[in-house]
Amino acid sequence: MQEADLHDLSDDPDYAASQQQALGRSLYRSDSAKSTEMDSGGGGGSETVYVKDNVAIHPTQYASERISGRLLLVKRDSSLFMTWIPYKLSVGGTDSTGRSSNAGILEKDRKLYTIKDVPLADVHSIRRHTPTLGWQYIIVVLSSGLAFPPLYFYNGGVREFLATLKQHVFIVRSADDANVFLANDFQDPLQKSLSSLELPRVVSVANGATLHGSVGALSSVENSERRNGDMQIATSSSEYSGRNKHKLHDPARDISIQVLEKFSLVTKFARETTSHLFRENHNNDSSIHERKQLDHKPSSASTDTQKISSAPVAPDPLEFDKLPLIWGKQRQQPLDVKEWVCFLDAEGRITDSKALRKRIFYGGVEHSIRKEVWKFLLGYHPYDSTYAEREYLASVKKSEYEIIKSQWQSISPAQARRFTKFRERKGLIEKDVVRTDRSISFYDGDDNPNVAVLHDILLTYSFYNFDLGYCQGMSDLLSPIFYVMEDESESFWCFVELMERLGPNFNRDQSGMHSQLFALLKLVELLDTPLHNYFSKTECLNYFFCFRWLLIQFKREFEYEEVMRLWEVLWTHYLSEHLHLYICVAILKRYRQKIMGEEMDFDTLLKFINELSGRIRLGDILRDAEALCVCAGENGDACIPPGTPPSLPLETASLYPQQDQDDI
Amino acid sequence: MATMGNNNINAKLVLLGDMGAGKSSLVLRFVKGQFLEFQESTIGAAFFSQTLAVNDATVKFEIWDTAGQERYHSLAPMYYRGAAAAIIVYDITSTDSFARAKKWVLELQKQGNPNMVTALAGNKADLEDKRKVTAEEARAYAEENDLFFMETSAKTAINVNDIFYEIARKLPRAQPAQNPTGMVLADRQAERTRTSACCS
Ligand SMILES: Nc1nc2c(ncn2[C@@H]2O[C@H](COP(=O)(O)OP(=O)(O)O)[C@@H](O)[C@H]2O)c(=O)[nH]1
Ligand SMILES: [Mg+2]
Repeated sequence: MQEADLHDLSDDPDYAASQQQALGRSLYRSDSAKSTEMDSGGGGGSETVYVKDNVAIHPTQYASERISGRLLLVKRDSSLFMTWIPYKLSVGGTDSTGRSSNAGILEKDRKLYTIKDVPLADVHSIRRHTPTLGWQYIIVVLSSGLAFPPLYFYNGGVREFLATLKQHVFIVRSADDANVFLANDFQDPLQKSLSSLELPRVVSVANGATLHGSVGALSSVENSERRNGDMQIATSSSEYSGRNKHKLHDPARDISIQVLEKFSLVTKFARETTSHLFRENHNNDSSIHERKQLDHKPSSASTDTQKISSAPVAPDPLEFDKLPLIWGKQRQQPLDVKEWVCFLDAEGRITDSKALRKRIFYGGVEHSIRKEVWKFLLGYHPYDSTYAEREYLASVKKSEYEIIKSQWQSISPAQARRFTKFRERKGLIEKDVVRTDRSISFYDGDDNPNVAVLHDILLTYSFYNFDLGYCQGMSDLLSPIFYVMEDESESFWCFVELMERLGPNFNRDQSGMHSQLFALLKLVELLDTPLHNYFSKTECLNYFFCFRWLLIQFKREFEYEEVMRLWEVLWTHYLSEHLHLYICVAILKRYRQKIMGEEMDFDTLLKFINELSGRIRLGDILRDAEALCVCAGENGDACIPPGTPPSLPLETASLYPQQDQDDI
Repeated sequence: MATMGNNNINAKLVLLGDMGAGKSSLVLRFVKGQFLEFQESTIGAAFFSQTLAVNDATVKFEIWDTAGQERYHSLAPMYYRGAAAAIIVYDITSTDSFARAKKWVLELQKQGNPNMVTALAGNKADLEDKRKVTAEEARAYAEENDLFFMETSAKTAINVNDIFYEIARKLPRAQPAQNPTGMVLADRQAERTRTSACCS
């Protein structure tokens, strides 16, 4: 086994240096994912550099239930992508008993497990397992900490796979575990400095340039911060870099510990997910027996167990078989007009709202049709309404809006003088609308009429829902809605619908926020126990550092266009009403090493989280969140108290349908 | 005067006051030297740090900028608990904001750390023509309540660094090392090497 490694990966500095140069030419571009979406039909400029047949996934612990397929490495626009496509039917599932009941499950699985164009830039590491007896497999761990299920190479070829990889991407063997190969993109400067700090050994085997790069990145941060202070003022950044440098002393060993933690997480959930998905099979007692008989080399399992027990990862190979982890799908292009009209019948009804919501969940909506689509997503238009009904609704709602609006418009200055609550409320709104998204051209400039409309809608809302009134944050929620709708009355009613769900965020007793923060605590405990323990130790379990994320649905964390994309995805409620909580977990998981490595306390953490604004890659996070949500399954649901926003509030949940009926 | 010796002090400072009074703008001016005409409202809280050199000592301010709306009042204790200093901000063009500032003063007198250094900032001093609260009125109120008072402008930068500098100067006196309630002496990670003997 050891001698076979000679050609496996070159650890020599020259080789690494040449790879480093390739990286310098930005081997991975952040838009790589986008480009694959566009030419998803394949062809144009893509080159298949590796094909391997009979690579299988075991969705259950039963070796008999394997899904075989083809593993491909495809190079496109100088980026490398990994794809694994299961064969049609259960070709590989050579189940001698031929249980036909499996067909449906396997079909579902084939979709579930398909790996489509995963950029190698998203890969953190690859662990190979090449026992002298038995099947070889690899486990691909993504930088998000999630792993694909083990890919078994039934015809061998793991070495060839790794050798091909190293020709195209920068991978280095972990100094601590010869079977772990670390892959890294060094895309954005933050990641760059992080990666090099996290992987000190990688840096040292690579070349001076990388090390230099990371130090450069650090000092530029320092410089930019220093520029902000003046002579007598020193900033805190030196302290940060001090800590970072300290981190450099940590051996690469850290990584395998991290990976281990992730594996244990994967294992834990895979078991539950698997048992959930394959419930039927579990009452088949004979299957364990079958497995043993079908196992080509039963002795290999025990040999492996002994061997692996000395290694830190996964003590039991059977455990790996229980590993399947579902991961987020490749994001799609936004829904465009052509596709949209296909969802409408002759009279304008949406016949398959689930399919529509699913479509939007995976790709969002093109801006030109947002105006139409959002009204459904927000619940302002019922899916089964016709064109005519909607037109009628719009006119009824418009006059209704005017009536509510006239309630405050008719307040004379003399009356206002005796109406403190009104004056206060109006004052709050006036203060906030002039500082809401003024950098967007739609709202910029002096006396922008759109700012005045925001004011009118919010003040009207505070009369419509007088008990809730106006609260800071509401203008953030309204701004994109009016930007999309460009109509005062329609925006108002869409905002009303949104507030039906998010209103509790602004409750005086903070109940809506508390239930979300609590659910977040439970989800992190479930999905990242070490991080939970860390927050517990540092007294950060109130999760107030996520307050802004939750209160205004990440409005301040992304660019305007991305906010709209995120919101429409959230509003589909496709996988969960609470995807936003999984997004929180996904972001925290992405930065878990930094948070724990730098031993952030609550203050530092809050600052760090606030400063992540504008730096989070939405596509990646959505995929992570989807994966986490699927992973958590029912256990995740159980973490979220009933009535947690954006669920409709418990006590009134039954009232809303009646209200709707009355309205029409 | 320079009796503080070679001290490094971490001091938690909280900004309180009506929404729109200019809390975030004051911090931004102090920490980054910037001013934004349309500074976004603060959601939840924001945290900044900035170090000042005062004579021989350095004071590292850990600044909590809070959301001003009454609705979020219940969160405020979380931020002012354990604070060594507070700046209560009002807008000189708004009597309401001055009334709100007085409420904050009362609350801190009741709930806050008794040794807290509290400053009253009459912000937007550049808007003289719109002034509603006179400096005399505010100063008299400040003296009665043992606050130190300055009129500031985040826009023109007048008195901004000064108010923080003044707090920094007052801190070690109000907070001798033997009684460090609410003030975290710099005994954390990086500063651990330093001996913490201080103050006369
Ligand atoms: N003219 C003037 N405007 C200010 C000053 N400080 C803040 N502002 C403006 O007042 C508004 C509210 O400021 P902000 O700092 O967000 O207040 P906060 O809610 O207390 O944090 C913003 O539009 C600022 O640009 C100042 O000193 N002078
Ligand atoms: Mg503010």
